[in-house]
Amino acid sequence: MMTHFLAQTGFPEPMAAITLAHYLFVSAVMFILGIIGFISRRNLIIMFLCTELMFQAAGIALVAFGRYHLNFTGQTFVIFVLTVAAAEAAMGLALVVLLFRRKESLDAQVWKDMKG
Amino acid sequence: MDTILNPFLLYGLIALGAIGVCIALPRRKGGPQIFGALIAAAAGGLAVAFLTLKAGKDFPNVYFYIFSGVALGAALRVITHPRPVYAALYFILTIIATAGLFLILSAEFMAFALVIVYAGAILITYLFVIMLATQAPEEDEIEVLTDYDASAREPIAATVVGFLLLAVLTTLLFRGVNQLPPIPINRTDGLLADMPRKVDRVLRNHGVLNEGQTAKVILTDDGRLEAIQISANDGADVFALPRDQWPAELPVKNVEALGFNLLRDHPGTIEIAGVILLMAMLGAVVLSRKQVQLDEDAKLKQARLLSDDVEGNEGTAAAQTPSFARPTGGIPR
Repeated sequence: MMTHFLAQTGFPEPMAAITLAHYLFVSAVMFILGIIGFISRRNLIIMFLCTELMFQAAGIALVAFGRYHLNFTGQTFVIFVLTVAAAEAAMGLALVVLLFRRKESLDAQVWKDMKG
Repeated sequence: MDTILNPFLLYGLIALGAIGVCIALPRRKGGPQIFGALIAAAAGGLAVAFLTLKAGKDFPNVYFYIFSGVALGAALRVITHPRPVYAALYFILTIIATAGLFLILSAEFMAFALVIVYAGAILITYLFVIMLATQAPEEDEIEVLTDYDASAREPIAATVVGFLLLAVLTTLLFRGVNQLPPIPINRTDGLLADMPRKVDRVLRNHGVLNEGQTAKVILTDDGRLEAIQISANDGADVFALPRDQWPAELPVKNVEALGFNLLRDHPGTIEIAGVILLMAMLGAVVLSRKQVQLDEDAKLKQARLLSDDVEGNEGTAAAQTPSFARPTGGIPR
């Protein structure tokens, strides 16, 4: 398929010298960036974007593990990650619009009076 | 399987990356954001480079470095860019680079699904909401960043927490690195036994199977492909088709194998996903239908605007004056 196609056109073998740890490292760094963004940014929409970043990181790890064990379960699970991400985006953004209409601001700090 | 990366080196690089990300987060006064991004990029690049030095002796894979570099750089920009629209656009870049990573992991279907579902659907929803939920600037006012976009909350604490977690997560690197095994070329051939009509159609289209012959897929006991047998309809002239004479369409594709895995090995999951999506849709509709409780002034303002619409143009001058006097009449009952 894609790898075969690349090999036919004379590219170096795409899988050479890449280990599982490479993918897990990239996945971990992306997850961490998502967490930092979620904690430190104050805009509600960007906080939601950061959760999507964390979903992406989980997806990379799942597909890499599936590739490592030579089965398709990792990829199947990523379909559900996509489903949950879509559901979360729909619900979350509806909530964000609602919150914005109340206070005319996207600042998460505006809602700090809700803490118990 | 060998131990990898001196712990001090790894934790030093992680600390360097933390400092870089911390500097790169947006500040109220502006600041050396670009240097922070460069420091973080250098730390990440060095970590991956040391990983590669330890892991392989061959020429490293170029595509992995391109895609992961773009993905992580764009991810850093998502969390550091002060304007939400640009953050969303950088997130699309992250998704496209991740799709590239999926391609070199030979997960073709997931790569395309990611681009279609994420970049095509979810991010467009985000962009719509960003457009909906920002105040339009006044006419004579230059557009300025709102305060909550321009500055990060607790940047130092957030980076410390995040990179501590990263340090814990990367201890797995001390366990050694395993090469990804090459994909055996006949990994999914056993699935052909479940697709007799595809085998028949492809072989007939390519002239391998003639009139009066049938093809049969023989499996070993553990579900692997043993042979594709071609025989005459009456059972005579049996011979096995060698793999190197297969037409190019015959091997099971990623989408087909994924479909079998999804529907046969995990039955019912598609239905559960459907229920989740239905519930999310219902929830979004219910949430966004809800009327917002306006305060008295806003109600009066709206009522006046409405009455002006009803009465025609004569009330427009009054509507433009910013007084909150109770309108004398004309409120529609």
